Amino acid sequence: MAEYKLLLKHSDDPATQTLAGYKKAGGYSGLEKALKMERQGVIDEVKTSGLRGRGGAGFPSWIKWNGLPKDKVKPHYVVCNADEGEPGTFKDKMLMETAPFQLVEGMTIAGYAVQGDVGYIYIRGEFIDAAKALRKAIDEAYANNLLGKNILGTDFSFDLHIHLGAGSYECGEESALMSSLMGERGMPRLKFPHAPLPTISGVWERPTLINNVESFSCVPHIVDKGGEWYATLGASTKNSRGTKIFSVSGHVNKPGNYEIEFGTPLKELLEMAGGVKGGKLKACIPGGSSMPVIKPDAVDVAIIGYEEMGEVKSMVGSGGCMFFNEHTDIVMLAWRTAHFYANESCGKCTPCREGTRWMVQIMDRIVAGGGQKGDMDLLTEVANNVEGRSFCALGDAAAWPMKAFIRQFPEEFEYWIEHGKSMVSSKEALALVP
Amino acid sequence: MSELIQLGSHNERPMPPKADELNLRFSEQAIKELDALKTHYPNQKACILPGLWIAQREYGGFLDGDAIAEVAHRLQRSYAEVQGVATFYSMYNTVHNPGKHKIEVCTCLSCHFNSAYRIRDYVTKKLGIKNGETTADGMFMLEEVECLNACDRAPVVQVGDRYIGPVDEKAIDAFLDELRASTESTVIKMADQIVQVQLKAEERIGSIR
Ligand SMILES: Cc1cc2nc3c(=O)[nH]c(=O)nc-3n(C[C@H](O)[C@H](O)[C@H](O)COP(=O)(O)O)c2cc1C
Ligand code: SF4
Ligand code: FES
Repeated sequence: MAEYKLLLKHSDDPATQTLAGYKKAGGYSGLEKALKMERQGVIDEVKTSGLRGRGGAGFPSWIKWNGLPKDKVKPHYVVCNADEGEPGTFKDKMLMETAPFQLVEGMTIAGYAVQGDVGYIYIRGEFIDAAKALRKAIDEAYANNLLGKNILGTDFSFDLHIHLGAGSYECGEESALMSSLMGERGMPRLKFPHAPLPTISGVWERPTLINNVESFSCVPHIVDKGGEWYATLGASTKNSRGTKIFSVSGHVNKPGNYEIEFGTPLKELLEMAGGVKGGKLKACIPGGSSMPVIKPDAVDVAIIGYEEMGEVKSMVGSGGCMFFNEHTDIVMLAWRTAHFYANESCGKCTPCREGTRWMVQIMDRIVAGGGQKGDMDLLTEVANNVEGRSFCALGDAAAWPMKAFIRQFPEEFEYWIEHGKSMVSSKEALALVP
Repeated sequence: MSELIQLGSHNERPMPPKADELNLRFSEQAIKELDALKTHYPNQKACILPGLWIAQREYGGFLDGDAIAEVAHRLQRSYAEVQGVATFYSMYNTVHNPGKHKIEVCTCLSCHFNSAYRIRDYVTKKLGIKNGETTADGMFMLEEVECLNACDRAPVVQVGDRYIGPVDEKAIDAFLDELRASTESTVIKMADQIVQVQLKAEERIGSIR
């Protein structure tokens, strides 16, 4: 299997970042088609397509779309999660910079299907280039009756705003994102079943549809070519349909975004990225920093799919795939990962706020040469007490990688603890000891 | 103490700062921009983040107490609420004045194993500042940051609206020289651009550069 470019098909053609160029490449035929369909018909296409959320959790998109009240009494909101912050991921950034109309069209179709009134694209503050590209696209769409009042002469009206974040990984968590959009600290909100789903009561207590950039970007293609066609992509997998963009980085010769069909072997993704540089492959984090690390033997057999990746005890996640060569010190990798989650923990709940801090303290003492016997068990125990006990999934995201590093590479931890230094004679790794 | 008791007895939430207690500094453009942004949301509270971006530009890149009070006043929220929001986010400069240029060095996973700490140490040595410090002439601040989500270009450095990477010592030298020669503050420019991209074409007074 090779690359399969659907969302990134025109990404190297800047002309498609203008409305004329986008239309010439087939853009907006999805919206035109959608506006002639029943709203439910659009939702059914998304159902047939088998689209699952590309933000990390892989939740079936149509269930969300179908969940907003059909007998509308209050305004409905459509929110795009463009807060891409998962270490290793940079696909949403590229989609916004190189295919802004695709996202705008996708959100407009979604707006139509769920009777949305206003949409917001919540963009991470650092992504100024992505925001500029979207601004141009949105301005042009407004000027051409593709946003605003009575879109294309129908009675459907939809406003779309850009909202910039201000630096916080936690704001990618959807309920924290909603808090942030409403002008609060980026802390998550109580979830179902203790509170209504966002589709019933989301931003400003109104029905809200929230999806990732890549998820919305799939929509024009699904409506235009049909859900059935879309579902033929990835048909070899259990339950993953369509394409997925993987951001490949770390020690590879050609880092970058690669769009593949589900069902592609992971090792082909590595080949697309030019193979490992600087030595043999040692470890792979397939789906962003929150996902468990795997070893080369698992890379050899892994098939990319939501269920399939489970067979090698990891996950597709957000598609931030990092490969590391043999000179990589796994303990340092675990150390830096622990620091990331402790820095980004929002502080709302005790297990995560304290647990991430404890993991950092233990990792700090190990790499400073003061590791103690039992530190590995202690780390695992702390991780176990964060996992599943935290208010939001950031806690799990901090626990999973730590447990996997210890499970997969125990000898490296043991060596550090016993000898007070790295088992890997990499100058780089050693220069980093804090 | 007596004030607190009074507040309690009236059963009122802390009130927004009043205009005559403040030294308001928003320009006419800023006021118009904030008014336009208010129309994007169903209430004024949602304008706290955009309002803080405007303030960060108007107050020269640093949100001191006056800046926070002005945002609170203009959105009719309490000082504590706006301060609580501002201090949560890492891109609002509430702790100390970053100076003209904030050099953000990513040291997260992919950058870490592509020499990011060497780059950070180089900047530290060259400018004589550690993580979180600003040079005495107010020109540069160094900040170690989490993944900038441009890992294909690891190691990555962000300054204002510019991403550079992969960087090495030579690229850092050239970049710092370029920044020294320019008259513009990338910290202020970044805040301005963030304000501009949130405004629709007909609402925009500034420009997108
Ligand atoms: C800590 C944390 C960070 C997250 N960051 C992001 C993110 O940056 N972008 C994103 O789309 N989803 C992110 N998510 C997932 C969202 O909560 C949510 O599942 C997603 O936006 C739903 O959209 P989808 O169904 O289209 O995937 C994050 C989740 C957690 C727990
Ligand atoms: S798990 Fe708790 S402390 Fe951690 S980010 Fe979520 S709410 Fe905040
Ligand atoms: S790790 Fe530095 S940009 Fe992602």
